[in-house]
Amino acid sequence: MERRKILLALGILMVVLACIPVVVFYTHLVEVQEPKTVKVFHAGSLSVPFEEAERQFEALHSNVNVQRESYGSVEAIRQITEVGKSGDVLGSADFALIPNMMYPEFADWYVRFATNDIVLAYNSEMSHYTDEITPENWYEILRRDGVTFGFSNPNLDPCGYRSVMVCKLAELRYNDARIFEDLILKNTAITVSEEDGTYVIQTPEQLEPNTGKVTIRPKEVDLTALIEAGGLDYYFIYRSVAVQHGLSFVDLPDEIDLSKVEYADTYKKVKLQTAEGNTKTGKPIVYGITVPTNAENPKLGLEFVRFVIGESGQKIFADNGQPPIVPPVGSGNVPEELKSLVQLEPGESTPTPGTTPPPTSTPTPEEPGFEVICAITGLMGVAYLVLRGR
Amino acid sequence: MNLLLRWSVEKLKREKIFLLSLFLGLFLVAFVVITLGNMFYQQAEDVDGLIAVALDPVVLKAIGVSLSMALVSTLIAFLFGVPLAYFLARKELWGKSIIEGIVDVPLMIPHIVAGIALYGVFMRYGLIGAPLRRLGFVITDAYPGIVIAMLFMSFPYLVNSAREGFKGVDPRLENVARSLGASHWRTFREITFPLAFPSLLNGAILSWGRAISEFSAVLVLAYYPISAPILIYEKFTSFGLRASRPVSVLLISVCLVIFVVLRVLHRRSK
Repeated sequence: MERRKILLALGILMVVLACIPVVVFYTHLVEVQEPKTVKVFHAGSLSVPFEEAERQFEALHSNVNVQRESYGSVEAIRQITEVGKSGDVLGSADFALIPNMMYPEFADWYVRFATNDIVLAYNSEMSHYTDEITPENWYEILRRDGVTFGFSNPNLDPCGYRSVMVCKLAELRYNDARIFEDLILKNTAITVSEEDGTYVIQTPEQLEPNTGKVTIRPKEVDLTALIEAGGLDYYFIYRSVAVQHGLSFVDLPDEIDLSKVEYADTYKKVKLQTAEGNTKTGKPIVYGITVPTNAENPKLGLEFVRFVIGESGQKIFADNGQPPIVPPVGSGNVPEELKSLVQLEPGESTPTPGTTPPPTSTPTPEEPGFEVICAITGLMGVAYLVLRGR
Repeated sequence: MNLLLRWSVEKLKREKIFLLSLFLGLFLVAFVVITLGNMFYQQAEDVDGLIAVALDPVVLKAIGVSLSMALVSTLIAFLFGVPLAYFLARKELWGKSIIEGIVDVPLMIPHIVAGIALYGVFMRYGLIGAPLRRLGFVITDAYPGIVIAMLFMSFPYLVNSAREGFKGVDPRLENVARSLGASHWRTFREITFPLAFPSLLNGAILSWGRAISEFSAVLVLAYYPISAPILIYEKFTSFGLRASRPVSVLLISVCLVIFVVLRVLHRRSK
């Protein structure tokens, strides 16, 4: 009797376990037939407009669920290129990262669709000297004792290296050769060198900030919380973030805030070498978007991109302090579906009709049930050995 | 084969519950072993990277910061948590479940939320941060910040484990000691505390382990000085998996050794 019960229990257990691969396989099958999720990896500064875009996009397409994950731009790309997650859309706060980090394996085109710029934001109730600060004297205020300021980690976040560049550009704009030294060099392990009129800033892996004066966090968004709490006086941040969080800010002059294509030659004078060894050159802030080649739902991903760079998307971006580029500029092997919306980068030959869209096949394992079966067999083997060992 | 089967079945009859427990439990063990094993296996292909990392003073300092700050946090949790646990285990009063609920709260809130809340209190103008700053203590981006974030996220493990430990000590033993003339304090020192000690140690180990792994709350409160989880995150973000994995492997190895030693001590103390 007892024995029967045991056998029965074991039998049921085995049946349940045997069902796992079937269920896994079945759900996999269903997913392939009816794609419903659009996975979006994006820069932290795209969170607010993308959230709005997600809402409108989901209203337009019933049955579609947009899942967004927000990171620093570099980190967002690494989620795809290194961690191996598959993403249907990737939005970067620096369009150049897409060709630099993803070409050719993980992407082969991108669209520039919106811009931004760096401002100096503060908490109007708690920050020091906010009644005195202007676009002409902000660096004097930051120099004062007891005033703290922050920027995100230049090695991890484009907003970070841009903030550091702004401080260097400020020297040229205000004709004050000590701004960079007083604000950055004295307070961190960052160094700078000059070569024929261009400046190369080096940011070591360990920034060793003087934490009494300078606050560094990995992402610009992390610093926003500190400003809102009042623990930090000023920080360099994208205009969009300041607008979206209702923060007051000093609107820095066009020559230094990385906003205008007209000043591209000025911005170019400052370069920054990250700990990784990548050299970033100062240039106007332009967002890039693409559909990674490992997308599980490339069609929906493309649809989302169409929405973001189209008219509705442009309105969302304008409202959030990220002026859209009209028309958007495409580069690389831009898919047919987008060609009516974008202007192809000048000087670029249109791909011949023969070379059709990038391979969109996904590297997902063919038999998801296989590992499960192996694991179960293995465990049963172990259990048997233990049993026999007794 | 037949004999073996019959033997097994007899064995099954006697120990079926244990076998079933083992069989089902192995899933969780396998869960950990496969995940970490995979990571160690990948690292085994790059032993040079691991050695380089093990000799890197920045990495060693970060791991040292994590281990030592977690120890400080656990000692503080022990100092305040054990009396609280003793009280909760022995006394009934109105609102006790509220206190117990409050103790459990840090286990439930998202770590980033806890970090921001802690920052609000301990920053330069915060409720506690402002007076401390006047005394010359800076919390944010300093060692105390790391300890505070770790303490907040990890002390419930110690309190809960210690409370169950004290509950497990028969009050009659205490009464006997008292009736033989021992003072309340001496009874606690010589009877209750030693009997509950294995649970206290268990709680301390859990709390210490949890403190080492804390990332989000530490990140908000004290990004610098760099502790191990933050260094791993930084390495991953700026250099990718190749650079971050050896640091993780090193941290896990060091912790594993310490944990196993502590567990052996824990068994002895029983």
